[in-house]
Amino acid sequence: MRIAPTPGGVQAGSSTRKRRFAWLLVVVAALLVAFAPFPTGMGAPPPIHRLISVQAGQYAYAPSELQVNLGDTVTIELASTDSVHGLYIDGYGYSVQADPGQVASLTFVADRPGSFRFRCNVTCGALHPFMIGKLSVGRDTTLLRSAGLTVLGVLGLLLIRRQDAVAGGVP
Amino acid sequence: MSTLELTASARLKALLKNRYAQLAVLVLMLAGYAFAIVAGVVGSPVGSSNFSIVFVWIAWWAALILVAVPLLGRGWCSVCPIPIPGEWLQRGNVLGPHGRQPRWRGLRWPRQLRNIWLQSAAFLLLALFSIVLLTTPLVTAVVLGSMLVAATALGMVFQRRSFCRYLCPVGGFIGLYSQVAPVELRVKDKLICISCEGKPCYNGSARGYGCPWDVFPGGLSRNTYCGLCMECLRTCPHDNIAVNLRAFASDLNQPAGRLDEAFKSFVMLGSALIYSAVLLGPWGALKDAAYRIGSSAWFVYVVSFLVIICLVLPGLFALCASPGRDARAFRLRFSRLSSALIPLGLAAWIAFSLSFILTNGTYVLASLSDPLNLGWNLFGTSGLAWQPLLSAVLAPTQSLALTGGFVWSGTLAHKVASESRISSVPAVLYAGAVTLLLMRLLL
Amino acid sequence: MRGPEVLARSVVGLVLAAAVAVPLFLVWRTPMVHARMAESGGWLPDALTARVGVPLHLRLTSDDVLHGFAVGKLDAPSVDVIPGKVTDVTLLFQVPGTYTFYCTRWCGVNHWRMRGTIEVAGEPSTATAAALPGQPLYAALGIDLDAPRDAAVVLAQKPLASLSKDQIRREFAQYATTDYYRTHAPTEVWQTLRGDPALPPMDETKAWEVTASIWRSNTTAQELADGERLFAQNCAACHGSRGAGDGVFAAELAAAPGSASEGTLAAAPMTQAPANLADPARMLAASPALLQGKILRGGMGTGMPSWGPILTEDQTWSIVAYLYTFQFEYH
Repeated sequence: MRIAPTPGGVQAGSSTRKRRFAWLLVVVAALLVAFAPFPTGMGAPPPIHRLISVQAGQYAYAPSELQVNLGDTVTIELASTDSVHGLYIDGYGYSVQADPGQVASLTFVADRPGSFRFRCNVTCGALHPFMIGKLSVGRDTTLLRSAGLTVLGVLGLLLIRRQDAVAGGVP
Repeated sequence: MSTLELTASARLKALLKNRYAQLAVLVLMLAGYAFAIVAGVVGSPVGSSNFSIVFVWIAWWAALILVAVPLLGRGWCSVCPIPIPGEWLQRGNVLGPHGRQPRWRGLRWPRQLRNIWLQSAAFLLLALFSIVLLTTPLVTAVVLGSMLVAATALGMVFQRRSFCRYLCPVGGFIGLYSQVAPVELRVKDKLICISCEGKPCYNGSARGYGCPWDVFPGGLSRNTYCGLCMECLRTCPHDNIAVNLRAFASDLNQPAGRLDEAFKSFVMLGSALIYSAVLLGPWGALKDAAYRIGSSAWFVYVVSFLVIICLVLPGLFALCASPGRDARAFRLRFSRLSSALIPLGLAAWIAFSLSFILTNGTYVLASLSDPLNLGWNLFGTSGLAWQPLLSAVLAPTQSLALTGGFVWSGTLAHKVASESRISSVPAVLYAGAVTLLLMRLLL
Repeated sequence: MRGPEVLARSVVGLVLAAAVAVPLFLVWRTPMVHARMAESGGWLPDALTARVGVPLHLRLTSDDVLHGFAVGKLDAPSVDVIPGKVTDVTLLFQVPGTYTFYCTRWCGVNHWRMRGTIEVAGEPSTATAAALPGQPLYAALGIDLDAPRDAAVVLAQKPLASLSKDQIRREFAQYATTDYYRTHAPTEVWQTLRGDPALPPMDETKAWEVTASIWRSNTTAQELADGERLFAQNCAACHGSRGAGDGVFAAELAAAPGSASEGTLAAAPMTQAPANLADPARMLAASPALLQGKILRGGMGTGMPSWGPILTEDQTWSIVAYLYTFQFEYH
């Protein structure tokens, strides 16, 4: 990336220092967004026992988006409506399978926050690898951090643009 | 920018020039390709267990989008078996020029089609049927077979590798994204080319054939159209051609400003977005619409797909390129600025692909042991239960790829915008919005 | 042509020919039984042959969803038939005849239509080989399985089987035999009990308790457990886990003809909603023989499968015994 040459060495020096400072600010902010722990316990709802009935049919779950709070004890009752289906939760690794007519249930403690896809783990036809639902436990920290980094990137790029504009001649 | 000449190593250069080594690799690839077609036809109709689905859409795709394209540019094209039978027929030989070359039609590719519009159209055509293509072995076999037949037929009517250069749906985006790779093939000294008689790198000689990719190596400044076939390495009488290691995305510093390439950029970005929503999202209605070909829901899906890719995405970006009264200058600005989206597009495809590759990678191991679904267990893995790999690492890796791709694209957009004397703010905001949308869909 | 070119062409030709010919040959040479949902053809092939005493090796694979394989009237465990994978099974027959093999994992509303036959030739291998089953009980009794039934009773709650088996044997001996149980409906028994001059008078509730106890005395905990398992595996998908006719396929079966959804066969427009097996009006008026008959014969196109070739006699009686637990309280 080039900046237009600045008249005079003194100004050039200070703009380089400003630029370095700006970069440092961006990097520190990025590290904070990526790794700083979220404030916990601020209005976090108490964990409860949840019973969720999920129907599985080619090739979707109903409901396909589940929302629970961190720490909840979740029981998923899986009812298959056409052929044998399964429900495997990414990240947690728990799974259950159900034949039509025989409801199967899976109980676990949602002790990991974030967004987890759950998928069918019994081959159930052509679109089996894409039979997907989403379980949200508490706050989706990965998405929030990633979005935060993106916004930071936008701000950083705008900052650089402003600096270039100040340095010379860029609209 | 500094480059490291890899072919300075005499051993490496000899290996790259060696026709026997190249033939061995190509024959293996062609045998694997033929086997994949056969497996697609006579193997199990269950996609996740069929060799052709598993090895084309998981194993080969992973190697392509995660390794070959970002690191080797058109490295896959150099070993791709699709044009090979056609080329053998065209040349009348499987090893180097010898004896009389057969006389085929040998037409020049029509001038109006000497661009990548057809490749974008071919990719979009496949994309509309993608969910059936990815899951039905017979359909994959038919598509693979059709590409082989088309390449062979074109080889007997037109000169050189016309299928690869102007029709192959995969080649379209490999070429576009190969600009990111840290490997390139360039001439060492352009002055030598200027005084070279006969230009055997392009026209052929007793030592080798003229560039099958219809590229003049002396004029190569970007990776986009060089298929790394190494013919010019063999034909150049002045040893003026080199394969270099260089900085990533060097090609993007001088954007070509071609409208067909700009459009391809939106085809790739748009399809990454739509696939992320349809294939990896929890919305069964979308998947149904994409799968039931011929139903009214599918027509709605097709129209939406095309409108997003051909109108919405490029349209919004056109607003970022400061439309003005001078149409030609605006087109140039638009095309150049679009090339800034290339790192983000590649990052989007990497993030999207990682998801289904890591989730379904164990199918590859299982299929290796029973490639024809006959109950074999060649390597002991046929009973391997499906299990997602590296789940804990997936989301952070996707996040890193997308954030990195965005920052890269944003920086490039800033550079290109400055050179075009327009504000980079809209383009940066556009890229940021697309990145946030991708994150919402993938993470 | 130069030597190297000839050699190269030969190698290329050989490798490519092998890549195509070898897999084709191997697939052609390996006989497999393919399982598909009934709508896509069912079992392919669906007619097998075997000989008494000669093991029959089968390689089973599924072409779509998870299926299962078992042979009716044969003492062999069922196996899963997994999509894309191969299951090996070996069958040995002692008695000649026609056996029915069928799918054991629900694969759609037409799951029960996935059947095939194995013709077994030869002489019975043992003297005590099972004889051909005689006429089913409902036929011998002349019961009309399709006649409408209404128990015309109103029960505030499920009758409790309060008398033990011993008590029933002592005090109601002639009502306690297996034959009597199988050939009479609960309402008939209840009426007879109340009208029997040899017995002390009993009010309605007491008579029901005795009836329930008679029913319980004709079964065992093991039989009920078997019946519950068989019901869950074979019946619940249509009739519902509590027999109320609300299973996952009930809606599809009840759909009007012509509005058949993509899962149903075009040839089955007369299917109807699965029966409510928890309805006292219908069930208390049904004798075990009638219920057995319904299970054996099936529904003649209504969508109720005929289980005659599949279930053993013991299995049908255990399902029948389990069905009455929807009407009577056994604990």
